[in-house]
Amino acid sequence: MDRQLISLKFAMLRHTSAGMRPFGWAVGGVLVAATWAAVVFAAGDEVRSEVTMLLLAAWGVGAALGPVLTSGSGVLKPDYFALLPIERRVIGRGLLVSAFVGVASGYVLLATLATAVHAVWLSPATLLVAAVGAPLTWVLVITASRLVYGLLGAAMRSRFGVEIAAIQFGLMFAVMFTGWMVVQVAVQSVPALLGSGLPNGPITAVLGAFPTSWPVLAIESAAAGEWGVAALLLLALAAVDAVVVISGIALLSPRATTPSRGGRGRARSAGLVAGGGILPRTQLGAVIGKEMRQWTRDPWRSLEIRSGVWTGIAIGFFAWVSGIYAGISAFAGLIVAFMLGLAACNLYGQDGTAVWQNVVGQDKTSVRSDVRGRQWATILVFVPQAILISAIFLLLSQQFWALPTVLAAMPAVFGAASGAAVLVSALGVSPGVDPRMRVGPNDANGNISLHVWVVMVLIAVGVAPTGAAIVLSFASGLPWIVTVLVGFANGWLAAWLLGRVTIAWLTDRMPDVYSRIRYGRIFRAGDQRGILAWIERTTLRGEQRMQEQRQKAREERVKATS
Amino acid sequence: MCDARPLRHAGDMVSHTAPSSEPQFAFELDGLRREFSGKVAVDDVSLRVPHGSFYGLVGPNGAGKTTALSMAVGLLRPSAGTAYVQGIDVWRDPIGAKRRLGVLPDGLALPERLTGGELLTYWGRFRGLDASAVASRTEELLRVLELDEAERLGTLVGEYSTGMRKKIGLATALLHSPSVLVLDEPYEAVDPVSARVLTSILRRFTATGGSIVISSHVMSLVETLCDRVAIIAAGSVLADGTLDEVRAGGTLEDRFVELVGSTDLSDEELSWIGS
Repeated sequence: MDRQLISLKFAMLRHTSAGMRPFGWAVGGVLVAATWAAVVFAAGDEVRSEVTMLLLAAWGVGAALGPVLTSGSGVLKPDYFALLPIERRVIGRGLLVSAFVGVASGYVLLATLATAVHAVWLSPATLLVAAVGAPLTWVLVITASRLVYGLLGAAMRSRFGVEIAAIQFGLMFAVMFTGWMVVQVAVQSVPALLGSGLPNGPITAVLGAFPTSWPVLAIESAAAGEWGVAALLLLALAAVDAVVVISGIALLSPRATTPSRGGRGRARSAGLVAGGGILPRTQLGAVIGKEMRQWTRDPWRSLEIRSGVWTGIAIGFFAWVSGIYAGISAFAGLIVAFMLGLAACNLYGQDGTAVWQNVVGQDKTSVRSDVRGRQWATILVFVPQAILISAIFLLLSQQFWALPTVLAAMPAVFGAASGAAVLVSALGVSPGVDPRMRVGPNDANGNISLHVWVVMVLIAVGVAPTGAAIVLSFASGLPWIVTVLVGFANGWLAAWLLGRVTIAWLTDRMPDVYSRIRYGRIFRAGDQRGILAWIERTTLRGEQRMQEQRQKAREERVKATS
Repeated sequence: MCDARPLRHAGDMVSHTAPSSEPQFAFELDGLRREFSGKVAVDDVSLRVPHGSFYGLVGPNGAGKTTALSMAVGLLRPSAGTAYVQGIDVWRDPIGAKRRLGVLPDGLALPERLTGGELLTYWGRFRGLDASAVASRTEELLRVLELDEAERLGTLVGEYSTGMRKKIGLATALLHSPSVLVLDEPYEAVDPVSARVLTSILRRFTATGGSIVISSHVMSLVETLCDRVAIIAAGSVLADGTLDEVRAGGTLEDRFVELVGSTDLSDEELSWIGS
């Protein structure tokens, strides 16, 4: 059974596109090398001990959260086997065993073996302890990882799962945008860590309590001649392993579940359904209400918002702790406003085939209401979060000189971002997984590489007047109130103008938006000239090319396996 | 062929690029054709639906029913041909035509994260209905279609069963009180009790002069409900007319099999089943 499940896992991996997997493998390899290098180059036994424990704990946390970020292809789920006439525990065990076979698992094993370096330095005889401790740690980390994934599998539809994925995306974006700050901080702090270890305090005690640290402590006890203590530590680790393995098998055994009736047990928006609601009872109000609910309830869209917010937090935090760039952290809220542009650059794609409603419900004002409603909803959803993040980081960093700039830039960025996002959404519809089929927040876009660039350019151009006003206020003493007013006027104008262009574009083209989602192509006749038509064509071609590549890769895989 | 019944919304009549000066038909598919990458999915399909008629479009899976109806309601651009709703060209005057149309597509998403009530409220207000009318119609539709309990539990459309999805889809099609209903597989996965409710709603709709086109591959259903029928296979209309004209003395299923062909199971095939 175990062997069949392992083959099935590999078959599933073969039949899904590699996506980010090669990148992940490269990063994993670098991390293993960095782990070994850190342990080898740590100055002195005490520092090496702390560094090893810290890194093993990081591997444990990383392995627990890592699979959540990936779309989980190759992860076998208990439900697949629920109807097989096989003992449930056998399936549970097989599923757990299959988690140990793979590249990531191999990396974890290599990383845990870095304890051998510590053992060699202390006393080569303790290599025996390392040889037992490393596999035990490996079992713990991989089983715990599968356990967390299994538990989060259910939570992925909940706010908690979205939040965890959002933190990871936020960190990723933050590193992409301001990686240099991280590198600088790392360059400053890694030698300090490797030279003098962790700062004194409770952190070392807490770290020692982590089961991943016990092999390190066991090696040290053995080196000090206390072989009994070493054995006890290893036994304790084995006991923890046993507990997680038993829980893992229990969790992964398919269970007979009663079908849920869905829903949360009490009505939503009763006032709205009864004819009320706080929004205007108009076509525009209807779209704003629908969109705001989609933003907060759809896991994909929630993830977009929360990733934007966490990007702001991560950049603000990096800048704040770097010391040198503390001034930048005052602008963390602006990052959130900017991220609106990226989060909402595929609104129609996020709607999926539900766009049919916009086509059959078309009237004289429907396109305008739809575009404006979507703009208002994105702004209403993002603004409170951006204000909150701004306030927090202004207070933390104490960079109050930045306040007028933030006040002027915020409305400008919001206006330009909401306009850019809706325009690019209309031009470059990229269907992800259709809403009916979505299960997790990672069921997202197709190829949106061009979208991101167009949005960034539009935002940069769109906020230029405010940028000029800010420069003027610094250079020639233009009163701040004027700059702030320019920011508001600029934001309103950018949102209005880009929205206006979108409305004009979509008025006769709603069926084409639907066609791109439903059929992956456009059936409109006639040569279309101009920059907008170029963006439409290029994004469509990008999407089709991605589909072709997927198809080709699939065919090659089939050919290779047959 | 024309079954001249009184117009339901005579005041709504708009003279447009109609095939004739007086719109004889509530709904008309006129030479619709669609090719996908050189392959013809729908080939010159023309159908005429008289006022007050209950029209059934039957055909095997992949016959082109959904593609033809998608073109007819303005969702998919045709390679050639067009469609008219009460004489209004769907592709030349989409706004005028769509005001009169109620559509239930098959297999498409809805705003999945809304409850049924929220969806109807959004849809009613989006279609320009008065808020109080939206509220009363929403309440009534949810109650009649037995979706009110799901609403009380806060169930989202994405959590609905297939049958419930069909019902909420039908509610969206009916909400703005259209003159012509185009329903793609409306009875699929609907339980027998709800199917009776659905039938009485649709019968009342035609009794007041409204016209309905449904697609289905369940012959007995179409035979019970429809007064007119068209058989479509491989993108072409093989027969159309009144139910009696099409079935020509036999059952609709016999006629369908005669036109479309069937796969017979020989005694040797699958003989292991039940062994």
